[in-house]
Amino acid sequence: MATLLDIVTTAAILFAVGAGLLIVFGVMKIINFAHGGFLTVGGYSALAVTRLGWNPWFSLAFAFVIGSVCGMIIERLVVRPLYARPLDAILATWGLGIIIGQLITLAFGREVQFVQSPVSGAVELLGSSYSEYRLLLVGIAVILALVLGAVLNATRLGLVTRAVIMNENLARGLGINSGLVRFATFSLGAGLASLAGALITPLSSVDPNMGVPWLVNAFMLVMVSGVSLVSLGVACLVLGGAQVLVSSWGNPILGGLTIVVLAALVLRFRPQGFARD
Amino acid sequence: MLGIWAIVALVLVAVGPWVLPTYMVNGLIRAFLYAAVALTVDLLWGYTGILTFGQSAFFGIGAYAVGLMFTHVGFGPGYATMAFIGAVVGAMLVAAIVGWLAFYHGASPLYGSVVTLVLPIVVSQILYSGGNFTGSSSGLSGFESFDISIETWFWIAGTFLVLLTALAWLFVHSDAGKVLVAIRENEQRCEYVGIDVSRVKILLMVVCAGVAAVAGYMFAGVQMVVAPEYAGFVFGTELLIWVALGGRGSLIGPVLGTLVLDVSTSYLSGNLPFVWKLIIGVAFVVVIVALPQGLMPLITGFVRRLMGRGGAARSEPAPMLAAVEEEPFAGLQGAGSQALALAGVRKNFGSLVVLDGIDFVAGRGELLSLVGPNGAGKTTLMRCIADGGERSGGSVRVNDHDIERLPPYACVGFGVGRKFQNANVFDSLSVAEALRIARSRLERPSLLRRADTLLLPEAALQVIRATGLDRDLQREVRHLSHGEKQALELAMVLALEPSVLLLDEPTAGLTKSERTLIGGILVDLARNHRLCILLVEHDLDFVREISSRVIVMHQGRIVLDGTVEAVVDSELVRTIYAGGMTPRSGAVA
Repeated sequence: MATLLDIVTTAAILFAVGAGLLIVFGVMKIINFAHGGFLTVGGYSALAVTRLGWNPWFSLAFAFVIGSVCGMIIERLVVRPLYARPLDAILATWGLGIIIGQLITLAFGREVQFVQSPVSGAVELLGSSYSEYRLLLVGIAVILALVLGAVLNATRLGLVTRAVIMNENLARGLGINSGLVRFATFSLGAGLASLAGALITPLSSVDPNMGVPWLVNAFMLVMVSGVSLVSLGVACLVLGGAQVLVSSWGNPILGGLTIVVLAALVLRFRPQGFARD
Repeated sequence: MLGIWAIVALVLVAVGPWVLPTYMVNGLIRAFLYAAVALTVDLLWGYTGILTFGQSAFFGIGAYAVGLMFTHVGFGPGYATMAFIGAVVGAMLVAAIVGWLAFYHGASPLYGSVVTLVLPIVVSQILYSGGNFTGSSSGLSGFESFDISIETWFWIAGTFLVLLTALAWLFVHSDAGKVLVAIRENEQRCEYVGIDVSRVKILLMVVCAGVAAVAGYMFAGVQMVVAPEYAGFVFGTELLIWVALGGRGSLIGPVLGTLVLDVSTSYLSGNLPFVWKLIIGVAFVVVIVALPQGLMPLITGFVRRLMGRGGAARSEPAPMLAAVEEEPFAGLQGAGSQALALAGVRKNFGSLVVLDGIDFVAGRGELLSLVGPNGAGKTTLMRCIADGGERSGGSVRVNDHDIERLPPYACVGFGVGRKFQNANVFDSLSVAEALRIARSRLERPSLLRRADTLLLPEAALQVIRATGLDRDLQREVRHLSHGEKQALELAMVLALEPSVLLLDEPTAGLTKSERTLIGGILVDLARNHRLCILLVEHDLDFVREISSRVIVMHQGRIVLDGTVEAVVDSELVRTIYAGGMTPRSGAVA
């Protein structure tokens, strides 16, 4: 039972972490390696909220706003010139991740620090006790998925965004300002990453390099998901589940490798991954 | 020129330990070895376009071969040799597996990068989980190692780097080295001139892995410490940063970039620990965004201006052109009687049927034109003949060889030569280099030299002479006009000595006189060289002038197949071209 809950909560966390990367990859066709940096930004936003003594719930909104603002600045300065060079965009955003990590180190120090959790304790669930916060994350991930799905499928912004995803040149020809869509997408992606960073910090701790391992897993999950939120959800459940199983029955280090290795193999034999053709 | 520079570099290495402070000598030994790995990153990424995060893994494998052998087995000349062989062979084996995974036929460049990113993560995690055997996170240290003075290590590592750089220099300037650039520029065209791109990439990866492992071996030998970080993903990205800042695709840039950055890091990170890394990060981002070629071109440009040599004109003399003895069916066991035989060829994208039941046979010496309105499936049919992976059903035989599901380079081996609709060439190569790439299937290019004659079949020579390209052999292809690019691509395809020639609108965008010229050459190829030519063409006058047979396609099927007179003047062709051939209005027409 605990294993099942672990699988579901792990998938939820991975989904929250991967969503921002997926949105950026879907619309802009570039891989944002600063995603890890934005996660870190979110973690430290939560830390700032803790230090200021504010309500920990507030850290979520705070992280989202800070992350979006960082995303806006970075899109203008760095990402925009690299639209035509996707492999270079990976490198430049990785460099941005380094810059973010160093700025955070200068501001907050390099030591591991802890953040106050909005909820703590455990609940009794079907005869076993389980961390309340992890269960809460499942709810948050579901809400996140619903909101993103609704924005993409039921709003004008979403329609325009989907048009850019499918055929950017045509969309531009129809008078859609694809530059603006990219700008909005990147800042949304950065905001989501930062939000995810704030969400995961109560589970462990913050340090300036906390984003890197998450970045790698999120990257692999997005690679196997194509550009669909649904397949991201499936990929998180399947690969995240495999990770939980390998960690609990094998060893945790192998567990940490599960997602990257399985994702690489999935792509080798089925290049479209978990997406439907 | 290379010899002089290499000697200067060797002299610098020789005097280094006597004039430099000890701390610097130590730092430089490490930097020399890092630079050797950076050089392999440059070959893979800068020259061939494979963005790799994984060279650190091979460095780590080399280092751990030393650490594990000397810690757990023992130290001695025999063990050291065994560790060396283990390092190199182990790294190469891993590289072969990684290459097989990353560079399968049709893999996207992004997938290749994904795999190279997974590799160092897997290797370093295995090292972390190795317990006492690998020393886990603290690694292995304090093992007995070579009893060599620090000066001698400096000479060994420095000489290794200089020789490696010189060798790499010879390689990238050789005929074989140009194949790497061709792959970076246009992988598809490489496949269609018969180069097995996957194999080239895997071989390159294997060699680069071996070199990185040797560097790692020396590193562990001199430092007497190994740790999982040296095999990790972060070190892999650091190598990319050094290469990017120095200047990808320039060899010297990455080497100097690594030396300068690594040594200055060891000095400055003490005083400005975080600021220094921040500066590197900012410099890296600025270079990627604004100076993709790195800092090296700035320096060389400055030196050139100082020495009064301007311009990027290529200084080497143009190669001599000569005709080659043609062997059209080289490497084929029997050519059969039919040049091309298609049976039931079908192609669909999901439920959309693009080609349906295409059957025809074409013999040698036929000049067969495919006509039909846009969307009739003409180009798709060409694709299905030149790439076994394209069709959804049916069979294609070229010179009596079933192309099965084989990739384009294998179809080229059966005698197919395909010219694309839009000029599909290599922008940053010269005309002569591009032609030589097209010959590399038949003449194995040298790994260290560039040949001074360019052997081409008569027909290819005819095309480049007629279009004046023979006077422009050293020109970069990007500077050619549209017509010249078309002619170059045709010459490249003819250089393959094909027996089945697929031409997709070869005269599109050409002037009337160029068109007549190409038409004449095609007729000559069919009549006198007995080539089977399949031509997609919209210009019915051109078709009428040169074809011996015409096939009309409409909505994925063959609707007419016959002589020029019978087809071009038929009522059906006129209706199709007038756009009236839909089932409903067809009755009206």
